[in-house]
Amino acid sequence: MRYTLATLLLLASASSSLALKMAFPFDIPMMEEEAASAGIAHTYDGPFEYFVGGGAASFDCNGDRMADVFLAGGAGEAQLFINRSKAGGALAFEKIDPGLSANDLRRVTGAYPLHIDGDGILDLAVLRVGENWLLKGNGDCTFTKANRLWNYDGGRAWTVAFSATYEAGNRFPTLAFGNYIDRTAPGSPWGTCEANVLARPQGTDEVPNYSTPQILEPGYCALSALFTDWNASGEAALRITNDRQYYRGGQEQLWRVPQDRPARPYRTADGWQRLQIWGMGIAARDLDADGRPEYALTSMGDTKLQALDDESGEDRPIYRDQAFEKSATAHRPYTGEDGKPSTGWHAQFADFNNDARTDLFIAKGNVEAMSDFAAFDPDNLLLGTLEGGFYEAGDKAGIALKTRGRGAVVEDFNRDGMLDLLVVNRGEPTSLFRNLGRRAKPETDTGPMGNFLAIELRDETGANLSAIGARISVKTGNLTQNQTVAVGGGHASGQAGFAHFGLGVAERASVRVQWPAGENGEAEWSHAYRAFADHHIVITRGAAEPLMWFPPQ
Amino acid sequence: MRWLILPAVLTLAVTAHGAEPWEEVSGALGQVEALPSGALSKAELEDLIAIGDELFIAKFTSAEGAGRPAATQAILPTKRRNPATSAFARTSGSDSNACSSCHNDPVPGGAGDFAATTFVSEGFTNSDFDTTDPQFSNERGTNHLFGAGLVELLAREMTAGLHAQRAAALVKARQTGAPQTVDITTKGVSFGSITARPDGIVDTSNRDGIDADLVVKPFGQKGVMVSLRQFSVNAMNHHHGMQPVERFGPRWTGEADHDGDGFADEIRAADISALVAWQATLEPPARITPEDTTWRDLAATGSQNFDAFGCATCHIRTLPLDSLSFADPGPLDTAGTLKDRDVAEPAVYELEFLEWAKTLERDDQGRVLVPLFGDLKRHTMTDRTNERLGNELLAQRFVDRTAFATTELWGVASTAPYGHRNDMTTLDEIIRAHGGEAAQSAMAYRDATDRHRTTLIAFLKTLVLN
Repeated sequence: MRYTLATLLLLASASSSLALKMAFPFDIPMMEEEAASAGIAHTYDGPFEYFVGGGAASFDCNGDRMADVFLAGGAGEAQLFINRSKAGGALAFEKIDPGLSANDLRRVTGAYPLHIDGDGILDLAVLRVGENWLLKGNGDCTFTKANRLWNYDGGRAWTVAFSATYEAGNRFPTLAFGNYIDRTAPGSPWGTCEANVLARPQGTDEVPNYSTPQILEPGYCALSALFTDWNASGEAALRITNDRQYYRGGQEQLWRVPQDRPARPYRTADGWQRLQIWGMGIAARDLDADGRPEYALTSMGDTKLQALDDESGEDRPIYRDQAFEKSATAHRPYTGEDGKPSTGWHAQFADFNNDARTDLFIAKGNVEAMSDFAAFDPDNLLLGTLEGGFYEAGDKAGIALKTRGRGAVVEDFNRDGMLDLLVVNRGEPTSLFRNLGRRAKPETDTGPMGNFLAIELRDETGANLSAIGARISVKTGNLTQNQTVAVGGGHASGQAGFAHFGLGVAERASVRVQWPAGENGEAEWSHAYRAFADHHIVITRGAAEPLMWFPPQ
Repeated sequence: MRWLILPAVLTLAVTAHGAEPWEEVSGALGQVEALPSGALSKAELEDLIAIGDELFIAKFTSAEGAGRPAATQAILPTKRRNPATSAFARTSGSDSNACSSCHNDPVPGGAGDFAATTFVSEGFTNSDFDTTDPQFSNERGTNHLFGAGLVELLAREMTAGLHAQRAAALVKARQTGAPQTVDITTKGVSFGSITARPDGIVDTSNRDGIDADLVVKPFGQKGVMVSLRQFSVNAMNHHHGMQPVERFGPRWTGEADHDGDGFADEIRAADISALVAWQATLEPPARITPEDTTWRDLAATGSQNFDAFGCATCHIRTLPLDSLSFADPGPLDTAGTLKDRDVAEPAVYELEFLEWAKTLERDDQGRVLVPLFGDLKRHTMTDRTNERLGNELLAQRFVDRTAFATTELWGVASTAPYGHRNDMTTLDEIIRAHGGEAAQSAMAYRDATDRHRTTLIAFLKTLVLN
């Protein structure tokens, strides 16, 4: 179609640009649910304690760099599934025995993978109603309970939130456990929130020692926690989102965690503004590449999208909500007849359509049978727009199911460069969506989307092998995309492995890494690595070139 | 019939370019209604080539979208910070009206004079520059395109070969649990070695003359372009401000008129296909046998000296090609240039249909021996004693500034001047400019007698465009 200038001027009078005439001209991924055929048969369920939680951990437990999954089961058993998918093929998983008793696998609300003892094998922090487990990975997808070995008291709390960071000068990670309701307190559940726990490694032993945790009081019924370097100071603070349903006088929290000193919360005097939401999940991403992350906070009703306000300062965390202006409130179901408010849980930024614009996934689902909130509450797939906002494409993508979503992982399970999606649903089978690519003509057909780059970091200078806290900066043309390697956030769900970047039409990218300080060193920027699109690369701290990785065929 | 021609092209007797005589447009656009697909018949291919020919020589005008007032020359859709002050600029572009404005010596598709050099920059920052200072751009001579289809086919087969060797090494590493270091060689050209590890990691640090992705990129002085299609999409925007939809259209930019000149969807994918078809089917250069007996005798000796001096180490006389089926879109492009997986069925152009294909030599395995005098590989071309070719400041697309792809010598006699900047008027100059990996050969040439040097030039003068 060709426009004459005169025609164009007429068009321009009706709309400021041709772009405005197109609702969403970019690729919408087709997500095909194939949990059953992939061998994932799993349900998260149970009584009141399992209205929340329902997490998943995605990580490689057998050294093949394919993402295996550990799924919380609530009152039922958690299950571990080994990824047997082939590159680009249908998703395939095989359930295996993680080497734990059935009792140990019950009462699990969520899990996060991370390197705890630095032995080169990923470990697992398992959150439970009751004693939490730190599981030491054995390398063959079996695990050994290591609470005693690492002097960790798993407590008796109802834990749903977790995060970890490697503080400068420490060999082992600092762990934060976010607890929900203290069920034993008088008047429970109303106003009886459990305090949270900050477990920092003690001493100089060869093995982690978490014998002296700090109790983070007050606790406000935490449902998600995330260590995040909110002000690019090099020192992570602990952000906690809390459920106003049960606290009294509570609010969202941000704790300073200064090196070698006790953690303490930011207060009004520091600029921290009181925010009360039904906080369920946290996602962080530096959406505008200014070095300071933005945060999506899920809730009942509208999701928050927080960015630092102009009045914020170096140590003044003042945020403003951008959710409305960016069409990210996701406050009601976007399809169906149910107009009641939504209930949001897991949140995760990712680029599902590889267009180099960040998307936002939100798992949705009624708590149980709350009549004031939507019963049909489909998960959101908010695709990033050119203007920095979001466009809801959950129904078009095929993820608008009648399920009650909780935790989730966004991961490229078949290593085809397109992000897939696993959603743990309460009381219903877990969903597993394979990303088939863009919808093409005819409507049943699919096609490739934009280019991608998947980056795994290796820091072999200490125990922080996954380089938690590292910032990956990918530059294509004038566009910079930043991601931070983090453990925590979402809703009871974590993952370890490749960081995924959509590159759009860029055929290559320059990659720089800001490595974390580590046990003895200092934070430092790498040189610019050269990477070609549509590859998985592994960058080892200090290496001259990235290495390429290829999945099993 | 797998593609359609709009009626305009069927009325050539009236309007040669599908436009009224008084219209100030090229009239070359939009003649192919749908993207070609499947195997084209000889007649269909000839029709498509004819349209591609029109597109190649078409002088695009501002009345059909030439110029890019709101976009830069960058290969990624990039907006200008400030509006362009003029539609054309010989430095940062847009810098020409037609493909043939530069590729015209001695005929369309040919090389270009020094007057037709272009200035290559990333185009992301400092995209507007009005100087030839090398801190802003690399000045590049215009290469000829004859035989380009064969070159791309060779590159695809070489890439497939290298990738197969990499895959086999990975399988063996995974099966044995031990790292596998393998030499990677395809069509007799060595690209160094790689080590595949049992965990799926491939260490390519010992590769030679190729990117870590092991994709042979045969086009451009630096060997950075995968395909004629990619080159065409880049060039249309850079040189003419005609933005192909497959990269600058709504799917990637959200706009139908990314360059802000008032014209939506300036070049559709089918037009690019016609351009590719024309380029891919250009007759390859030939080696003539001079009628002048003196020249013939000198050339015969020069051919021997070509080997003796070591020229043939990189300027390999022929590379074997298994198939003359040219598929477009091809297998190796990435998003932003159509690739085979983007379409239901790529078009296939059988180069066998073309008369010139009958003249190609074949080996005892039936493979076509493509007489390109090249290796489709990059080499370091400078050293401390000879920096004649090291006059650039900017690395291009990850390629070190001292590395260049081996120039295919077929047609060299018809495509002076020489060098990546087209600033050397004689073959003698460019041979002497060889340094780095080619230093030994250049030294052999310099140390040879006048007569032997003359014989080499005489030999090279037999490599002409038909």
